[in-house]
Amino acid sequence: MSLTALAASITSLPAAEGGEGFQPPTTDIFWLPLFGKGDWAITEQMVWGAIVTAFLVIMLLALSKRAAVIPSKGQWMLEGLYNFVRNGVARDMIGTREFLKFVPLLFTFFTLILFNNLMGIFPLAMNPVTGKIGFPIAFTLVVYAVYHWIGIKRMGLGGYFKHMVPEGLPGWIVPFVGLLEFITYFITRPLTLALRLFGNMFAGHMVITLFVSAAAYQLLDGGAALKALSIPTGLMAAIMVLFEALVQFLQAYVFTLLAASYIAGALADHGDEH
Amino acid sequence: MFITATASSVVGLAASEGAKMPLIPHIPELIFGLVMFGILYAVVAKKVVPNLEKAYAERTAAIEGGMKQAEEAQAAAAAAKEQYEAQLAEARAEAARIREDARAQGAEIVAEMRGQAQAEASRITESAHKQIEADRQQASHSLRADVGRLSTDLASRIVGESLHDEARQKGIIDRFLAELEAGDIRPEKVGADAPAGQDA
Amino acid sequence: MTGNLSLVGYGLSAIGPAIAVGLIFAAYINGVARQPEARNLLQPIAILGFALAEALAIFGLVLFFIK
Repeated sequence: MSLTALAASITSLPAAEGGEGFQPPTTDIFWLPLFGKGDWAITEQMVWGAIVTAFLVIMLLALSKRAAVIPSKGQWMLEGLYNFVRNGVARDMIGTREFLKFVPLLFTFFTLILFNNLMGIFPLAMNPVTGKIGFPIAFTLVVYAVYHWIGIKRMGLGGYFKHMVPEGLPGWIVPFVGLLEFITYFITRPLTLALRLFGNMFAGHMVITLFVSAAAYQLLDGGAALKALSIPTGLMAAIMVLFEALVQFLQAYVFTLLAASYIAGALADHGDEH
Repeated sequence: MFITATASSVVGLAASEGAKMPLIPHIPELIFGLVMFGILYAVVAKKVVPNLEKAYAERTAAIEGGMKQAEEAQAAAAAAKEQYEAQLAEARAEAARIREDARAQGAEIVAEMRGQAQAEASRITESAHKQIEADRQQASHSLRADVGRLSTDLASRIVGESLHDEARQKGIIDRFLAELEAGDIRPEKVGADAPAGQDA
Repeated sequence: MTGNLSLVGYGLSAIGPAIAVGLIFAAYINGVARQPEARNLLQPIAILGFALAEALAIFGLVLFFIK
């Protein structure tokens, strides 16, 4: 990182001396309207989201249509992904008794988020769909509705609120813990769930764009020293792309894992961690 | 919390600029995200998961069926082995019993033979004894007759007169022999084997 | 030099979650090294802890945009 800091300080030098310097990317790079204007414009991310959804629908149907005892290569790959969600997330978090009901939900979340995330490093798109906060909020709304609905259905409205406070606490502390748990259940959880996904994708895309545009600026507009520096900067961009691939997978996993843990918390008798 | 409050205030600020503010959701995107999720969820819940779960169930059944079959085969093999072993043990027992029988029979035969031989021997011995006894008795009778005749002959020759008077003769000889047998007269030369007298 | 002070602020605030994430994974690695068979049990817990610690950094990012 010291290299890039150096690069940044060098890039700022020509700007001070004269002419137009390097303009770091702003958050405007996420605003990509295709059709229409203003509040109801169809954005590029929506188109990519539609493509991802169509791709997933077609692929999942095609690979699972003739699901056999002895899997074909495609089915085997699908089963790897499916088992990861089914056994690694749903069964571990929710428990063997009731996890099967929630597998479709979690599998949908995982695949949809994973592939929408992966659009951030997919060469044609190079723009994570989930980097627009509308999508994470939509997914989080579903999780939010599902786990509250399960909790209230399971324990009743009063029982659900009562279950948020762990038993055996001294009387005077109950209101404080209750308030804290209430905030956790109704504000912190959905907020962090949506913002975590959004923030990771957003920041990752910003970092990649920053490195790529810096490398391009150094190569095209810089002097000899800056042209040489564009190589490590470009390399850094490539490393960040690989790192983003990891983060994109991890965030899809984390979102699914947390959704499963919230559902498990609403199913269980005791208050779970956040 | 504070973020929502601030966000709502920012909405007022950024409303004109549309999407300048990255934290304000673009409403079509939000709706479209829900639609995307709904479509994919319907597909996954209706088709993908049931298909895969069915395949899993079939696989489990196939594996369990295979295991059951293998278990059955194993059980059959174990039964066959047991039967074989039982037969082997039976055969061994039979062999042992036959051997035992043979030994017992042999011993019996030996004992029987011995008994027979002993009986034969004793019979032979007995008949020999009897023969001997008979011979001896015969000899003793003829001897007694001879001795009587000889002694009377001798005595008559010595006396010179015939002692062949039937009545006297018999009485004398018999009395003499009786005395001899009773041990009143010590035999000096004739009748050295005294016990023979008992057989008279 | 021009710039936004909230940039520095966010950079500083990211230190805390960074240390937290490091500690969580250090503990996870320790746990797995001591008891490799507990790996599957520890992994979701570690990821969960990582996500919670990371949430603070995400809050910072949000606050940075709000100013």
